Amino acid sequence: MFDQQLANYLRLQNRLSRRQMLQGAGFSGLGLLLGGCGTTLLSEPIGKVFDPLNGNLNALMLSNKPVPEFPVSAIEPDEKLLINTFDATPQIDPSKFQLTINGAVNNPLKLSIADLQTLPLTSMVIQHVCVEGWAAIVQWGGVRLSDLILLAKPKPNARYVYFKSADGYYESWDLASSLHPQTLMAYQRNGRPLSVDNGAPLRLASPIKLGYKQSKWVTQITLVDQLMPAKGYWEDLGYEWFGGI
Amino acid sequence: MDTPNSVRKKGRSQPSQALLAKTFHWINIVSLFLMLSSGLQIYNANPVFGGRGGWTFPSAFTLGGWLGGGRNWHFAVMWFYCINLLLYGLYVVLTRRWNRRFVDSQDIKALQNSHNVKRKNYAWHRLVYTAIIPVLVLAIVSGLAMYKPAQFAWLSGLFGNWQILRTVHFITVPTVVLFTFLHSVLALKVGGLRLVNSMFLRGAGRV
Repeated sequence: MFDQQLANYLRLQNRLSRRQMLQGAGFSGLGLLLGGCGTTLLSEPIGKVFDPLNGNLNALMLSNKPVPEFPVSAIEPDEKLLINTFDATPQIDPSKFQLTINGAVNNPLKLSIADLQTLPLTSMVIQHVCVEGWAAIVQWGGVRLSDLILLAKPKPNARYVYFKSADGYYESWDLASSLHPQTLMAYQRNGRPLSVDNGAPLRLASPIKLGYKQSKWVTQITLVDQLMPAKGYWEDLGYEWFGGI
Repeated sequence: MDTPNSVRKKGRSQPSQALLAKTFHWINIVSLFLMLSSGLQIYNANPVFGGRGGWTFPSAFTLGGWLGGGRNWHFAVMWFYCINLLLYGLYVVLTRRWNRRFVDSQDIKALQNSHNVKRKNYAWHRLVYTAIIPVLVLAIVSGLAMYKPAQFAWLSGLFGNWQILRTVHFITVPTVVLFTFLHSVLALKVGGLRLVNSMFLRGAGRV
């Protein structure tokens, strides 16, 4: 787990330096003349101050009350949910798939798709909001993450939840958002089995977080007592960590 | 701003502004500029009109360099913009400036009946800077509805759907730009550079 995280972290560092080089090339000349316009000027230190402030405020306002749902008639066409991946789409054999739940738990689990389907199915019609600014009303069906976490018997010191995906994507959530009654490990969308592009066989789905928090192709859920330096693929590049909406 | 009448009575035209009005005006200009430019950066990630592949603003108009940087700016400066506007709201209500310094029925009458160009310009000036206040508030309301659509689901719901909400929030940008132009022209017409300076500079301020 930690080796994997370290590998991710190092890969991230590489990407970062490449990104910075590209930006350096793009923003020379005219960009410099225009001062702050078009550059990342100060955006990192500003994020470091205000991201925790905004995130903590959001966490304070978080309640376990379900977010109002939309009627089935409001579900938008499949293509409204744009496909975003940071890398390649992994091919997973559903018959061999196993979801691992480990870390700060007394009862680590390995669950197959069949195991997951024996657990209560929750369906919700919610608005999926992307950090880019678009949104789509989607139906998700799956298992409440809180059911899975309770099955694994979390230790009292568990405060955060890490999600590892088959494509190398990684995310971390606060425990309260993970236990929200509308935070699902989904295997259905718009009344049909989840498509591979949308994260089959299993993905995170929740109305209370931005889309980049809702990992696709989740293979491992790890409870931890504190956040690691690698907080999430996009967070480590500069997006907000809490990402609540 | 002194009314043209009182200026004439004094025999010298030295307009002055309350220090709190100047402070609001400065913080509002700077924070609005940063909100607009970081907002356009966010806009570019998925244009309201056309979605992916839609027309995007040139980088000279954007702040943050990429979506994450634009969001960092937007969700930091929002505090300064909102708190400034809130304090200004309290100020104009508590000091009753709301009754004296904003457009009133006399201005509307002047616009309808007066043949005095100066009086009409003055009425237009007051009308325009009064009319921008609800737009400044709308930017916050629509922004909050987009920033926290789950926590403020009731507020987002008022806008009908997501595309309408995004459009309303975006329209505050051209509105503010147009306002800035009109407000500058009218201020110059009403009081010339002396009036403009009285709002921007420190000297001769009424505290």
